[in-house]
Amino acid sequence: MSSAISPRSGRRDQGPDRRCLVTGAAVGLVAAALPRLAAAEVAPDLAELVARVTEGAAPERGRITLDIPPLVENGNSVDTRIRVESPMTEADHVRWIHLIAEKNPFPDMARFILSPRAGRAEVATTLRLAQSQKVAAVAALSDGRFVMADANVVVTLSACIDGG
Amino acid sequence: MSFNARITMPAEARAGEIVEIKVLTRHPMDRGGQSDGKGGTVPRKILNRLTVTYAGEPVFRFDMHTGVSANPFVSFTTKAVATGDLLFEWREDGGATFTRTARLTVT
Repeated sequence: MSSAISPRSGRRDQGPDRRCLVTGAAVGLVAAALPRLAAAEVAPDLAELVARVTEGAAPERGRITLDIPPLVENGNSVDTRIRVESPMTEADHVRWIHLIAEKNPFPDMARFILSPRAGRAEVATTLRLAQSQKVAAVAALSDGRFVMADANVVVTLSACIDGG
Repeated sequence: MSFNARITMPAEARAGEIVEIKVLTRHPMDRGGQSDGKGGTVPRKILNRLTVTYAGEPVFRFDMHTGVSANPFVSFTTKAVATGDLLFEWREDGGATFTRTARLTVT
C-alpha cells in the first residue's frame, strides 16, 4: 500500500490506532498498558529517528540548508525548502532527502529521490506539523555519507485537530 | 474523487539549462483518524508517491507520508536534455493512479 521508507514508518502505517487524535487522547491508556513501549513511542528521540534512516551512520552538519519558518500559524501547511550544495554529477550527487518531524504521529514525513539529472539539489514542499517541534532534513550523498540540518518550529495551530 | 494537478514549468529551455518544475495537486490527503461526523473515523487515503519521468527516463520521485499537507505542493529541478514529455504519475492509497504530461521543448 504505502511505501515504507524506513522501518519505523512501515510498521506505524499499519496500525489504525496510531492516529493524531489517539496520541493526544489515549496516551494515558496506552502508557498504563504498555509503559515501556509507550514511553519509546510517545517521545522518540530525534537522533534515533535520524539513525533509522541513515542506518546508524552519523550525519555531518553543513552543506544542507533547511528553509522553514520559525513561527508557523497553521501547522496544516508549512512551506519548506531544502537545498544541498552539490555539483549533482554522476560521481558526486544527492541520492535522496528525507524529512523528519520528531513529534508528529508519523515522524517520517516525506522523501525526495533525486538523480544527477536534477542539475541542482533543491526541493520544496508543504508539510503538516502536529505541534511545536524540531524538524530535520537528512540527505544521502552518492559517496555514502549523510548530511543533515534541523530547525525549531513553533506551531500555533496544530495540524492534529479535526478537519486538518 | 476530485484530483487536479497544476504543473508550472517553462515550455521551452536551452539544452543544459536547469528548469524548476512546480506541481500543485488538489487532494485531501486524509491522514486517517479524523471524525467523519457520524461516529466513525475517516480511513487514511493519501497520495503516497509521485514519479516523474522525462523522455522515458525517471528523473524524480517524491514519497509522501501523512506529514505532507493536503493539496500537496512540490518543487524540483531537472536539466533540459532533449525535447520530450515529462510524465507525472501519482499513486494513491488503494492503488489508484493519476497521470499528467507536460511537454518541454529544448532549443
